[in-house]
Amino acid sequence: MSDDLLRVRGLSTRFFTEEGQVNAVEDVSFTVRDGEVFGIVGESGSGKSVTALSLLDLVESPGRITDGEIWYRNPELADEYSGEFVDGDFVDVVRLPKRARRALRGPSFSMIFQDPMTSMDPSVTVGEQIAEAVEVQRRASANPRSTRSRTQGYGLGSLLLDSVVPTREYVSDESWARAVSLLEDVGIPDAKDRAREYPHEFSGGMLQRAMVAQALAGEPDLLVADEPTTALDVTIQAQILDLLREIQDERDTSIVLITHNLGVIARMADRIGVMYAGEVVERGTLADIFDDHVHPYTRGLVESVPDLDDPDARLDPIEGSVPSLLDAEMDDRCYFADRCPKAMEECLEDPAEFDAGDGGEHTAKCYLADREYDESRALADGHFDEEVGDGE
Amino acid sequence: MSDPLLEVSDLQKHYYERDSLLDTVLRRDPTAVQAVDGVSFEVREGETLGLVGESGCGKSTTGETVLRLREPTGGTVTFDGEDVADLSGDDLTAFRKRAGIVFQDPYGSLDPRMTAGEIVREPLDVHGVGTPDDREERVRDLLERVGLSADQFDRYPHEFSGGQQQRVGIARALALEPDFLVLDEPVSALDVSVQAQILNLLDDLQEEFGLTYLLIAHDLSVVRHVCDRVAVMYLGELVETGPVADIFERPQHPYTRALLESVPRPETAEADREITTLSGDVPSPRDPPSGCRFRTRCPAVIPPDDLDIDQSAFRAITDIRDHLDSGDLDADDVAAADEWRERVPDDVPPAAADALDDAFASLADNDEAAARERLRERFETVCERENPRLGDGEREAACHLVD
Repeated sequence: MSDDLLRVRGLSTRFFTEEGQVNAVEDVSFTVRDGEVFGIVGESGSGKSVTALSLLDLVESPGRITDGEIWYRNPELADEYSGEFVDGDFVDVVRLPKRARRALRGPSFSMIFQDPMTSMDPSVTVGEQIAEAVEVQRRASANPRSTRSRTQGYGLGSLLLDSVVPTREYVSDESWARAVSLLEDVGIPDAKDRAREYPHEFSGGMLQRAMVAQALAGEPDLLVADEPTTALDVTIQAQILDLLREIQDERDTSIVLITHNLGVIARMADRIGVMYAGEVVERGTLADIFDDHVHPYTRGLVESVPDLDDPDARLDPIEGSVPSLLDAEMDDRCYFADRCPKAMEECLEDPAEFDAGDGGEHTAKCYLADREYDESRALADGHFDEEVGDGE
Repeated sequence: MSDPLLEVSDLQKHYYERDSLLDTVLRRDPTAVQAVDGVSFEVREGETLGLVGESGCGKSTTGETVLRLREPTGGTVTFDGEDVADLSGDDLTAFRKRAGIVFQDPYGSLDPRMTAGEIVREPLDVHGVGTPDDREERVRDLLERVGLSADQFDRYPHEFSGGQQQRVGIARALALEPDFLVLDEPVSALDVSVQAQILNLLDDLQEEFGLTYLLIAHDLSVVRHVCDRVAVMYLGELVETGPVADIFERPQHPYTRALLESVPRPETAEADREITTLSGDVPSPRDPPSGCRFRTRCPAVIPPDDLDIDQSAFRAITDIRDHLDSGDLDADDVAAADEWRERVPDDVPPAAADALDDAFASLADNDEAAARERLRERFETVCERENPRLGDGEREAACHLVD
């Protein structure tokens, strides 16, 4: 078994909005190992993207990480610091100083976003944007105390400087050459010429490749891919998934793959976490989740997907819709109980993360993992009707 | 077999860019974007026809043109025996009642300032159906039928979840008791669990009201689940049609095959399934390839009869030709030319190797035209000379391999 690269323990991220506190991510734990793909699957609003942003410390106000630890294995970093947030080779990045935390973006963690078109600057050539990422890394490693990139400069001074010094000046020839070779690595034909083009001249698939190249600029240990193929057609999706697989194999990069598409998860992931209402409700290997699932939500999710090979079966959807994540409206119970066909009296209390009992690391946040379903304790139909009210 | 309710014959929809003054002065012809180019199909009473394809292939434009929400550039659309293009006045109003549409984006297609009840009542008001009380009751019935509760009638679109919004959209489309609905990606904006609810609802409604559907979708598993027959579209043209089971179990067109193969299956065996991915991107509909439009990405281009060459070598050569033709490959860039030459395996037949040597020699002499001509003469395939036609049988594929 390979070593752990990242151990996320009890991570909670909350948003303090005008309408109240939103518990977007609640007590989430998982482990990512060297060179593996860890898949996070869930529907919109389940907290999977906020989990990704939390890993990279990209959660913006009014949100912040309120609790939990993210232990990252990095012996060099562990040597540099001491204190209770260092444990052997592992460092809890949540408690790292702001500047050090930011410096991890690039050489340690990097991210690929869903929509390549809006994630790139339309007024700068693709090659330059990648070269800039390379340049930032190069300067940072030459002088670890100054991680300031040109894009982080604000104010009149940098405005004047920008208008006098053309953008290209910031990017050295070396970085440019490296950008071109990165573009070649991700399979862009004529990389030398295409690097001089602007994002709108690229197709969606090509631009997603360029974004992967940019994410690879710092040679990260961990690549976080948030719905990397959702905006693409299936034939292009297959190309991008191949590319991610290639990167994982050749560079031994670990990938956290976030998606709502169970097919993509099945194709790519070694181990999976299923998210619902901000929590990881079930966690295990690909086979645990697809064939031996315990949680009724996981079952519902897998059953809702139309099967290419069994077209006549009627779909078995999960009734109702995702609950509100406003703290004031959340009780301390299993959040899925109101939609669950097997809800029992104990489900009115928050279930612990039970071991699914098949010897592996398969866990489920559901009482069914701990005991048999008992019909005599089943909740009456309509138990939640009054408090939920607007369920479908 | 039931009668066709909708017949589409050689439908074309071209978009033109606005001419600039310079274009007028120079008398340049505007280039057309051939969004839909010669599409023919029929939708039979009570069935669901799936129109499948990737983004930009023209499937939504076809759906909208069929309903005369856009005027076709050419071809005819016949609905229940009447030519839709000829309709006007009362006949057109009657057609609008009988044929409706459900849009992809449920939120974007509902007026944010109207309540669910008002949205569903609007078509009834416009067409003056019954008395105000009748309408009110009909709205109530419809909203209940699609699964919304009585206390939700006075809510505004933003107060609903995506699935509920789509239910309102469906209720609105049903208000005038249509016979025919175009469903334009009705579930692609929804989460999987909600998607299944809406698909089941559409299925029930079809049975209850005897509806005929034209389902436009890119998600093949949805199409397989819902449709009776399927038409596959690529770059403005239909490439394959047939009953749903045939298309999915015995696809004939290389594009259909690639499309089916690319869909990741939600099962544990998926990780080890071999997929041959299609190379490259869809060409621009402004300047589609000659002959078969799929040939620039096709994994099964037919080599000339007198050339015994394997597919990957032939693909490499056709790629060189495409780049020469589009002007991306020229004599100035020696390194790039060498790189292209190296992509062709060494074990090609002597006849092919000679032609390549000649062509690259011409290119080195700065004679691109000669290089192009030499390659064309040696490697021209039937796929670029002739556009394969789609027959009008029950099961057709527009591919030279099938002929």
